Amino acid sequence: MNDADTIQPLSARPPYPPGDAEAFYAHVGSGGKVEADDWMPDDYRAAVLKFVEMHANSELMGVLPERDWIMRAPTLRRKLALTSKIQDEVGHAQLLYRVAEDLGKPRAQMLQDLLEGKTKFHNVFHYPTRSWADVGIIAWLVDAAAIVSQQALRDSSYAPYARTMKKICWEESVHIMHGRDVVLTLMNGTQKQRAMVQEALGRWWGPLMQMHGPPTDPAKDKDLHWGIKAKNNEQLRQEFLSIYVPRLLELGLRIPDPLLRHDAASGRWEYTEPDWAELKSVVTGHGPASQSRLEFRRVNFADTQWVRDALLGNAAAA
Amino acid sequence: MAESPPLDATSREALAELLLSVADDEFVIGFWDSEWTGIAPMLEEDVATSSIAQDEIGHAKVLYELLAELTDEDADRIAFERAPDAFRHASLMNHARGDWAFSVARRYLYETADQVRLAALAGSTYEPLALLAGKMRREETYHLMHADTWLRRLADGGSVGRDRLSNSLECLWADAQEIFAPLIGEETLVREGILPEPMQAMSMTWQARVRPKLEPICGALPAATPSIDGRMRRTSDFAWLHGEFTSVARSEEAATW
Amino acid sequence: MDGERVWEVFRQEDEGDPMMHSGNVNAPDEELAMHYAREMYGRRGESHRLWIVAREAITELDDPDLLKPPFDRSHKKPGGYVIKHKLQAAKERAASEAGE
Repeated sequence: MNDADTIQPLSARPPYPPGDAEAFYAHVGSGGKVEADDWMPDDYRAAVLKFVEMHANSELMGVLPERDWIMRAPTLRRKLALTSKIQDEVGHAQLLYRVAEDLGKPRAQMLQDLLEGKTKFHNVFHYPTRSWADVGIIAWLVDAAAIVSQQALRDSSYAPYARTMKKICWEESVHIMHGRDVVLTLMNGTQKQRAMVQEALGRWWGPLMQMHGPPTDPAKDKDLHWGIKAKNNEQLRQEFLSIYVPRLLELGLRIPDPLLRHDAASGRWEYTEPDWAELKSVVTGHGPASQSRLEFRRVNFADTQWVRDALLGNAAAA
Repeated sequence: MAESPPLDATSREALAELLLSVADDEFVIGFWDSEWTGIAPMLEEDVATSSIAQDEIGHAKVLYELLAELTDEDADRIAFERAPDAFRHASLMNHARGDWAFSVARRYLYETADQVRLAALAGSTYEPLALLAGKMRREETYHLMHADTWLRRLADGGSVGRDRLSNSLECLWADAQEIFAPLIGEETLVREGILPEPMQAMSMTWQARVRPKLEPICGALPAATPSIDGRMRRTSDFAWLHGEFTSVARSEEAATW
Repeated sequence: MDGERVWEVFRQEDEGDPMMHSGNVNAPDEELAMHYAREMYGRRGESHRLWIVAREAITELDDPDLLKPPFDRSHKKPGGYVIKHKLQAAKERAASEAGE
C-alpha cells in the first residue's frame, strides 16, 4: 500500500504555551499570527498598542487638514469625492481604535491622551493647507506614502491589525486615484493652476521625505523582529521614491531637492538628508498647525460631550 | 431620456423652478451637514452623518443635471455660478449648522417633509423626475430611520438633550413650513400633473404627520403656514456659506477643476 | 463611554455567499449598532446582507486539543483516499487478462 504520502501529518502542538515568552517570540519571528484574546507578553502588547494607537490618532487628525476644503470643493463631483475620502479616514480611525481597544485601552482614554498631547500622530498632519492644490497633493502623495507602509503591514504578526490593513489599503487606493486626478486636472489647466501645484509640492516635499522616519538599526528594531511591521523605514522611503518621483517628473513638476537622483549602480535613490530634528519637533507637538488642530478637536469634543452623555443615559435606561 | 408629454415654454420654466427648489434644498442641507465630518459626537456616527450628507449632494447633483438638460446649461455652473439671491432653497436651510440637537431637529423636519414631497413627485407626469424621485425615496428610507432614531434618543436621553432639541424644534418650526412654499408657476405644474399635488396640500399632510411626534417633545407648536417668499429669503449665514463654496471655483475664470 | 458595547459584523458579499466576519463597531444598543454596521460595512453597496451580533453572544472555541487533535483522521477527508497506484495496477491486470 502506498498511502503514506497522503496521510495528514500529525497535528502540530499549539503554537506556543501561554506564558512562554521565548516560544511566543519564536512564533511571531517565524511568521506566526496572534489574535486579540491570545496570550501575549506585555512587551509585545505594549508595542503593538503604541503602533496602532499612533496610526489611529493619525487617521483622526488627518481629517483636519482637508476638512476645510470640503466646503470649498469647486465642482459637485470633487465635493462628493473629497467628503467620501475624509469619511473613509474617519472610518479608518474607527477600525484602528477598535483594534487598539481590544488590546486593553479604552477608546475614551485614547481620545483623551491624544487631546492632551500625551500620544502622537504622524508629522504630515501637523502642517497647514493653503490651496486647492494642497488637497490634490495630500490625497495623492501623502496617501501614497501611507499606503507603502500599510501594504507592508498586511503581513503584521498581529492578525486583527493585518486584517484591518487590507481593508484600509483597498480604500486608500481610491483616494490616491482621486488625488492624482485632481493634480492632473490642475497640471492640464491654466498657468496659475500649474503654479499652484508646484508651490504646494514645494511645501509638502520636506514633510513627505520625513514621513517614514529616520533609518533604524534593523538589529535593534523590535517592531521588525516581532513582525509588527514587515519593512524598515528606509525600504519604505525607497519604495515611495521609486514609484512617485517618475510620476511627478513626467508632469513637468520640479522636485525641490537638488541632490535627488537614482543611482543606477546601487539601485538606490539618493537625496538630501531629511531634517530629522524638524520631524522630532513636529511630532512632539511643535508643528505649525499642531496646537491649533488639537485645540480645534478639544473644543469640538467638549461641545459634543452632552450628546455622548445623552446616549449613555439612554443605554442605562434600556 | 424617458418619454414624457412635450413641454411648452411656460411648463418648462415652471418645471425649472421646481427642480431648482428641490436641488437647492438638497445641496444646501448637504453642505451644512457635511460640516460634521471629522467632528461628530462619535466616530461611527461621524461616518453615518457623512454618508447622509453625501447622499444629499449626490441627489442635488443629479437634479442639477436634469435641470441642465432642460435648460441647455451645465450642472456645475448652475451650482457654483449663481448669486445668493438666485438660490431657491427653503428658509429652513438658511441657518448655520448649529449644535447636534439643531442638526437633528432640522434633519428630522426636512426628511419628513421631503418624504411627502418625493411621494408626490414619484407620480409626476414628467417621467425623468418621477424616476429620479423613486430612486431618491429609497435612499431617503435610511435618512428617515436615522433622523427618527436621533429624535427619540435626544428626547429620551435626559433633560439636557431634550431641552436643546425642544428649543431647536421651536426655533425651526416656522422656517420648516417653507419647504412647501408656493412655487412660481405652480398652477401650471399642477395642471400638467408635473406636480401631482399642490404644495399647500402637501404641507397639511406633513403637519398632520409630524405634530403628534414633535408636540410631546416641545409642547404645542403654533399654527403655521408657508409664506409667499419662503424660498426667496436669504441670511448672512447663507451668504457666508455661499462665499465659502464658491471661493475656489471663482478664483480662476473658466478653469477646469 | 461606559454604555458602549462591541458588536461583531458579518457580511455576505453576494446572494448565496457565506457570512464572513468583517469587523466590529461600538454602539450603546442594537438599533445604533445596525446603523453603524451599515456604514462601516455597507455604505459602498458592497454587501448583500449583514449580521450584527453582540460580542458577548459569541462563544469562541480555539482549543487545539479539540480542533487539531493528534491522531490520524485522514479517513475523514478526500485526501485520505488516493487510489492512483491501485487503479493503475488494476487496469494493467485487466488489460493483460483481456489479452490472454
